[in-house]
Amino acid sequence: MIWAEFLGVAALLIGCAAPLRAQASCFDDLTARQVCLDRPAERVVTIPMPSASTFIAVDGAAQRLVGMHPASKRAIDEGLLGRIFPQARAIDASIAGAGSDGFMPNVETLARLDPDIVVQWGDRGDDIVGPLRNAGLTAALLRYGTEPFARGNLTLMGDIAGKPERAKELIAWRDATIADIEKAARDIRDGRRLKVVFLQRAASGLAAAGANSYNDFCIRLVGGVNAAAELVGAGAVNAEQIAQWDPDVILLNSFEEQLAPARIYDDAILSATRAARERRVYKMPIGGYRWDPPSQESPLTWMWLADILYPGAFHFDLRAEIARAYRLLYGFSPSDSDMDEILRIRTNGDARHYERFATSATR
Amino acid sequence: MSLATTTDETPQRRAIPRWAGALAILTLLLAAALTALCVGRFQIAPLKAIAILLSRVAPLSADWSVMDERIILLVRAPRVLLAALCGAGLAAGGAALQGVFRNPLVAPQILGVSPGAAFGGALAISLGLDGFALIGAAFGFGAFALLLVGCLARVEGRSDTVMLVLTGVVIGALFAALVSLLQFVADPNSSLPAIIFWLMGSFSAATWARVGVAAPGVLIGMATLWLLRFRIDVLSLGEEEARALGLPVERDRWLVFAAVALIEGAAVAVAGVVGWVGLVVPHAARLLVGADQRALLPVSAALGAAYLLLVDSLARSVTAAEIPLGVITALMGAPAFAALLRQTRRKELGA
Repeated sequence: MIWAEFLGVAALLIGCAAPLRAQASCFDDLTARQVCLDRPAERVVTIPMPSASTFIAVDGAAQRLVGMHPASKRAIDEGLLGRIFPQARAIDASIAGAGSDGFMPNVETLARLDPDIVVQWGDRGDDIVGPLRNAGLTAALLRYGTEPFARGNLTLMGDIAGKPERAKELIAWRDATIADIEKAARDIRDGRRLKVVFLQRAASGLAAAGANSYNDFCIRLVGGVNAAAELVGAGAVNAEQIAQWDPDVILLNSFEEQLAPARIYDDAILSATRAARERRVYKMPIGGYRWDPPSQESPLTWMWLADILYPGAFHFDLRAEIARAYRLLYGFSPSDSDMDEILRIRTNGDARHYERFATSATR
Repeated sequence: MSLATTTDETPQRRAIPRWAGALAILTLLLAAALTALCVGRFQIAPLKAIAILLSRVAPLSADWSVMDERIILLVRAPRVLLAALCGAGLAAGGAALQGVFRNPLVAPQILGVSPGAAFGGALAISLGLDGFALIGAAFGFGAFALLLVGCLARVEGRSDTVMLVLTGVVIGALFAALVSLLQFVADPNSSLPAIIFWLMGSFSAATWARVGVAAPGVLIGMATLWLLRFRIDVLSLGEEEARALGLPVERDRWLVFAAVALIEGAAVAVAGVVGWVGLVVPHAARLLVGADQRALLPVSAALGAAYLLLVDSLARSVTAAEIPLGVITALMGAPAFAALLRQTRRKELGA
């Protein structure tokens, strides 16, 4: 009896270990830890917010994604991705809470989804990773917030999906776009560099993106200057500080749904900034994912920003670029009204230089 | 640990005459207000700032830009006034409560009003509300918390101070848990950082409209405390003594609580939770003028206003980012409080 049990356990152990050694595909995650899968992952769960849409884009489908963070779900429901991949709306988003500590997964809910791999933050402490390890789940950790990390995440998703060439293709698009933009941005004289403030929070209280933010990277890439570069991270600021910076352009985050340029135009102080006087206040677009943080769609963000900052220097036909990118990313051809929604024509339509996004030259 | 709250330890030999002391404290307050008006991230020369202010009442030729004027009149002036109002109200409220409770560790938040109001504000933010809806929610829940404390603390028609403090702690913990719950469900990209910043207190959203909202509550509350100053003195002798002297203890105590709740609710509604002012400032004031509420209330109010003006000036001008008030009040308050406690204790032992 006891012997039989022992043999059974031993057989089980050997049975588990054998295929791992036989044909494991191994790759590094963004914390340089090795992750091994014995076969391409069929059931993937993502906990970091942007990862769900990144995985869908890299995989080109939503079938293999079985769980995601509630905030990812909200972005998918709100944006275009939910319409492109209707089945994404049915994916489980109950694995974690939404707010603070929201990246702490409920391991039992997670286990019920029976994931082959769980994508988790690698830069928010070990507390949110430990439970996954403890439950014997395979975890791949990512880091976030810079362009190199964005590329690393694409590569990681490609490795998980078993489609590394697809990640390479998306990264090549980023390289090409950066090269294009840098070439034109080099000719912008220092005196003509526009001061830009990106408002990370504006609905209740103000917070601007500081020097080490991705928004700062985007602004500098297209030849602008981040007026809030003295801040670290997303610092809370007051209207007086923004008046002191007197930005030429104000960008509004896409996260706060109700936020619109009227917030700036109706404010006694902010309406006196150059950006408001020249009607250069723009709300960030939202496509397959929000355009302000790094994502698979970032090259479109750069083109959009380049076009509105320096309409004389850049001539991206954004509608044509979006159509091309969406075919590449999602195999989807957005309609004209989809484009209006992505670019937020209704919110941004009467801002300066936005008329160039109203129609496409090639259509 | 009953500190000097109950004994009338008026300094035996008044080194400086009363009027000189009053003048010194008023000068301090005025200097703090003017300094606050002149410092900030937007560069305006102090003289120009004062000229802009004077131009409202005197004919002065304007040699400043529209932006200069807006910064002074629409940003700094209401902010200075709001900080002074809240500082004065919170400190006076703290002084009165410390008297009534005969406990030096009591601060306005002990009544549960502040956690209640914090919950109301956080709820409004997570529902996407701002402006007056937020203020209304904060004030409403602050009042509701006090009502709960009142109902729960009354056993057989009366409520003693220990019961009140404990109930206040219970209700405070309840609302603190509700705030945590809100933070747990809030959107990490938008409402969560807003809630967290709001909970740490800030005057960064000050406008004249907010001054208009907060001023009645704070002023009525402070006026009520002033009218009750003799009764608070009697209450601070202890419940039995007060009753023996013919004071309607229950009624008067609740009048004080209502006044403090009004102040606290109004302050939290417009500025978020600003801790430590109501705790530390009354101690400093007591060290200066003793425990007699007739002197303690106005001195606490003036010192509280000056203190919060100083703290707020630091919060908005030291770095480009707004520093939450709660951080500075605690960083400055904790060591100051420790020093004050030691000094008071030494004085007691020496007496």
